[in-house]
Amino acid sequence: MVDFSVYELKEPEVYAYKCPDCGALYYPVPMICKKCSARRDPSGVIFSSWEQVPLGGKCKLLTWTRVYALPEGFDVKYLLFGIVEFENGLRASGRLLVDDPRIGMELDGKVGIVKEVVGEDIYGFMFDLPD
Amino acid sequence: MRKVAIVGIGHTVFGNLSEFELVDIMSFASGNALEDAGILKDRKIIEQVFVANVGGGIINHQTGIASSLVSRIDLEPAMAELVENGPASGSSAVKAGFAAIASGMVDVVMVTGGELMRTVTGWKGTDFVAMLTHPEAEYNYGLTLPAFAGMFTRLYMKKYGLTERDLAMVAVKDHENGAKNPYSHVEIPCTLDAIHDGENANVVNPYIAEPIRLYGACPVSDGAATLILCASDSPKMKFFTKKEPVLITGMGAATDTHCVHNRKDPLELTAVRLSAEKALEMAGLSPEDISFAELHDAFVILELAISEEVGFFEKGKAKEAIKEGVTRIDGRLPINTSGGLKSKGHPLGATGVSQIFELVKQLRGEAEEGRQVKDPEHGMAVNFGGFGNNVVTTICSKE
Ligand SMILES: [Zn+2]
Repeated sequence: MVDFSVYELKEPEVYAYKCPDCGALYYPVPMICKKCSARRDPSGVIFSSWEQVPLGGKCKLLTWTRVYALPEGFDVKYLLFGIVEFENGLRASGRLLVDDPRIGMELDGKVGIVKEVVGEDIYGFMFDLPD
Repeated sequence: MRKVAIVGIGHTVFGNLSEFELVDIMSFASGNALEDAGILKDRKIIEQVFVANVGGGIINHQTGIASSLVSRIDLEPAMAELVENGPASGSSAVKAGFAAIASGMVDVVMVTGGELMRTVTGWKGTDFVAMLTHPEAEYNYGLTLPAFAGMFTRLYMKKYGLTERDLAMVAVKDHENGAKNPYSHVEIPCTLDAIHDGENANVVNPYIAEPIRLYGACPVSDGAATLILCASDSPKMKFFTKKEPVLITGMGAATDTHCVHNRKDPLELTAVRLSAEKALEMAGLSPEDISFAELHDAFVILELAISEEVGFFEKGKAKEAIKEGVTRIDGRLPINTSGGLKSKGHPLGATGVSQIFELVKQLRGEAEEGRQVKDPEHGMAVNFGGFGNNVVTTICSKE
């Protein structure tokens, strides 16, 4: 039998994590819950590995910048970055695809390739105008 | 707790020192401090060495730097360790030295901070500094410290009505002081006309991370600085007769969330406030007692924000202080008398040590012509790590 599951294309996602004991949501994931002190075990062997909750969609732009002096691995003239707040109250930093952003504007948080390293694409948040 | 005195100081010039080795520039600053303390020949009285450095293993391909330094300047068998706390490594190393003496474990400590970053390209250097951001939620995106400073500045401008001209005024003030400091990376004074008001200002002073422009950020520098500390109740104080000792009267540090986006109010630099509160409490002082300060202006916006967070000015009011000249060398509360990171430069591991070096110079009355504060009693240094996620505050006082 050939296992075809490895060829299945899955939409890349960025996840928030839910504490199994109190339900608190986090991004990025911590190792101890701030609210109830539940511990997390990434392997799920000793403690729970916590539930993954897809993060994205409707969000509000809190602040932004356009950066010209980029680090190694980003071969473009400039990139825009922003911090947003999603409807569930979680916040995230990410790439901004709007060229003329305003604080407070409504955006859509999608997932895309943010960095290409040899042999590996790194996915992350791309904030764009809602469709 | 025993009282801790600073009995010797040393510094290299800050700038491009890429023709030298990392441990050589550290050795040079250390040698200067041994001479300043008058113990070059009696250097073996140093029992413990703390070294502050961030990039040795990453960009200079060298580890075990504290052991290497001790051996290069013939300080064996002194104990030696490396302290790494990003851009606040220098003050953290001083804090380790302070604690080692205050606890009674040792009497004499040498703290040397140094960084050699200009040996790699700007690209690689930017990547190296950005490594202290959150690997998954920040670093992967290409987010850097200038990016966070840009986003912080935009919010600050919106909330408090700060203008780009106000920021340019901070840079002009820092360069004015830096031009008189022989250790400065950028020794040339700059004018408001050149970097903001004039016709060519946009060319001379382009955006690097909007709304931050080139003159709103510090240069990438190499350099090293050293302090020698001694318990003021130790019989070994008899070795240090050359200079008046300066006391470390307060030290405090605090941390904040690794991810900037996880701070409730992104304009609050909680770790700055808490570290300063702790240092002031230890010294038994209030912000009004501070005569002058070195504040971590890796971006000039931080000079304003830190000066408010430690209690010198109300929130949003530091820009009035800069307009009224309050923070100039002849003002009521001179800030960044050394030129700050903006003009003096910012070799990560050296910066915190260099800030305290400046406190000692001012308190001794040894600052160069035109940048000596008049009769200072207490100086404060705030060393800002990460984008405010690990901050160390030091207060030094005349004995
Ligand atoms: Zn919980």
